[in-house]
Amino acid sequence: MSKQYLTTHTVDDAHITDIFSLAVTPTQVLSASGASSIKVHSTTTPDIPLAQTLTNAHKLGCHHIVTSRNGRIAASAGFGGEVKIWNISESEEWEEAGKIVDGNKAGEIWAIALSEDGQFLAATTYDGRINVWDLVEDRKKIREYETKGSFGMCIDISRDGRFTASGHESGAVYVFNNDTGRMVHSLPGLVKPVRTVAFSPAGTRLAAAGDARVIALYDVQHGEQVADLTGHSAWIFSVDWSDAGEYLLSGSFDGKVKVWSIDRRVCVATHSETDKTLWCVKWLPKVGNKSEAFATAGANRSISFYREATGG
Amino acid sequence: MDFDLHSGYLADPQPPLPQTLLSNLPNSSLTPQTAISRPNGKSPTASGPSPTTRNSPGAVISKIEAIFEAMTDCLLGEKSELVIQLKTRTSKTEATSDGDGNDESAPSTRKKAKPDTRTFTFPSKSPREVWKFTALLRILELSHEALVTGIVTTKRDMYYRDSELFIKQAVVDRYVDDIAYTLGVTRDALNVVAAAKGLVVGSFAITRKDTSVVDYSSEPEGVLIPNVKEIADINLDEVRWILVIEKEATFRTLASNQYWKDSLAGKGILITAKGYPDVQTRQFLRLLYTSFPELPILCLVDHDPDGIGIMSTYKHGSIALAHESATLAVSSVQWLGVRSSDFMGGYEEVEAVGLLKLTERDRRIAAKMLEKGGGYVDVEWKRELRVMLMLNVKAEIQVLGNAEALGKWLDGKLVDAVRIE
Repeated sequence: MSKQYLTTHTVDDAHITDIFSLAVTPTQVLSASGASSIKVHSTTTPDIPLAQTLTNAHKLGCHHIVTSRNGRIAASAGFGGEVKIWNISESEEWEEAGKIVDGNKAGEIWAIALSEDGQFLAATTYDGRINVWDLVEDRKKIREYETKGSFGMCIDISRDGRFTASGHESGAVYVFNNDTGRMVHSLPGLVKPVRTVAFSPAGTRLAAAGDARVIALYDVQHGEQVADLTGHSAWIFSVDWSDAGEYLLSGSFDGKVKVWSIDRRVCVATHSETDKTLWCVKWLPKVGNKSEAFATAGANRSISFYREATGG
Repeated sequence: MDFDLHSGYLADPQPPLPQTLLSNLPNSSLTPQTAISRPNGKSPTASGPSPTTRNSPGAVISKIEAIFEAMTDCLLGEKSELVIQLKTRTSKTEATSDGDGNDESAPSTRKKAKPDTRTFTFPSKSPREVWKFTALLRILELSHEALVTGIVTTKRDMYYRDSELFIKQAVVDRYVDDIAYTLGVTRDALNVVAAAKGLVVGSFAITRKDTSVVDYSSEPEGVLIPNVKEIADINLDEVRWILVIEKEATFRTLASNQYWKDSLAGKGILITAKGYPDVQTRQFLRLLYTSFPELPILCLVDHDPDGIGIMSTYKHGSIALAHESATLAVSSVQWLGVRSSDFMGGYEEVEAVGLLKLTERDRRIAAKMLEKGGGYVDVEWKRELRVMLMLNVKAEIQVLGNAEALGKWLDGKLVDAVRIE
């Protein structure tokens, strides 16, 4: 049984260059690109109007943007190596709240992730370290995980905040226990660069994917690989779990976006609006009883919105 | 890069001062220190004629000959020793021009900010000093020859003329500069330029100032880039495109396949500077560009930050020589490849050809280039730099395949480029 998704809207040329990252809140999509501004579009109306432009957020462009689950905090990482923290005000405007200043060299921080409430920020470095900051406590670095030195290309924090997972250029995937500060799993299986990792909403599963073109599903508790989702024919840059953990979304180098059923471990929908790289794909948080929807963005500089076709 | 430059090789450089050497030795400001009579009464030290004439070939020849006349007198007068005085440059200058020759110098004296004067005598009890004296004389002679014949030579040429004597290139590099410094002239005024690094081949010919014509289609391996000072005229009638290549290996492949002759896009010119371009290669490309601005000039570089940097140097100039950019920049340079789209299908077979990881240095350079103003890095290049950083992948020109595959790839790209023009 396949599912049908329809394009509901496309924000053409949302940025003047590649869109590298998307982050969502219940009402907005934040997008980051090679340009210096971060853009904020509202998802509350079907025409997806531009709600705010954060000008000069990152002078050399921005490669990662993330939001806390509650939608109150955002963090963005720029090509100059700087990381900015953003808060949303009462009037729903994003304001810069500060910067993470790494004690070491500039340009070290690469991929970032925020905990559900936005208190903790985790980030990878070029040389494979994972650092965690407490954004409430003076943005102090509270954890430093060492790995074997391979570039940390992606990172995620579980919703309950207990685990951090990182994916590396070497193909390694590590899971850390944030309470004890220890590595709990070094997950085998992918060999090639891992470009995206994501915990399932319940925190029991971890999805990892990259140049191996398969999505590996791991059991977080036992550290076993429980499934391989095969079907992409190009590098996978982004995966995201649906709110209920039923479906996984993935986007790849060749512009294809796929929806996977976790129960059945099969691809249930494939779309290719573009043959240009999809750098990021994201489910929109489910609001009310609306059907499932997601957004994609990448080298074609546009943000496309899809919604499940319901009824017949 | 090893050309047959040994023809002028002296079989036995050891006996340092055969009379024949002296007769035509070019000498610069090496000042005989003893009370040798100086026939023309000219002081051979640096303070000579006014700055405008100081660098003229005649003036420099006179300076060099004065030194040799003095030596001849010395020999005729049966003086017991010959002396060359050499001003050595400050250690800072030397470090930049020659990081390799410190073993021969007297480090204690070189550290001073003021120039030092060193004396080389012959004969000497020290074999090392004899050797130095000989090397200096040989360089003076070769410079003199270059000046008298009007043929610009390179430091590399000089080394090959007598590689057994000089032992290593660094010796020539340093002494040439020291001699120029002592004479108070620029190295160019000795008719010695830095080694030409670039190679060129193609369907064109130049007429040199001495009216000889050089056909660049006759050397299948390519020849050294000519010095623009020697070029009187250049014939580009058959040329439809110019391809500037980062890698010597790729240049050699295309040159030996005569791609410049057989391309679907018509006849063209292949140029390489073997990496970051030297001034001479840039001068030559600039001459091609100014002679025929409509000719498409296309750049084929590795897909990495250095590749972009090399292309930027051709097009916009180097930061180090920012003051020369106006006379060296070639604003019409277009990027032919390698772009990420040329090799990144994301498919197995391409990966197998050899994608490489960015090094920490690569990532640092890429970030620095993103920071640079639009004057040095084009918008499209910045896009590719960001993609490189995102993917953490780079690729060499060789990713395009072997000679045949590369030729096909080039055909497609060049035909478009030539048509647009």
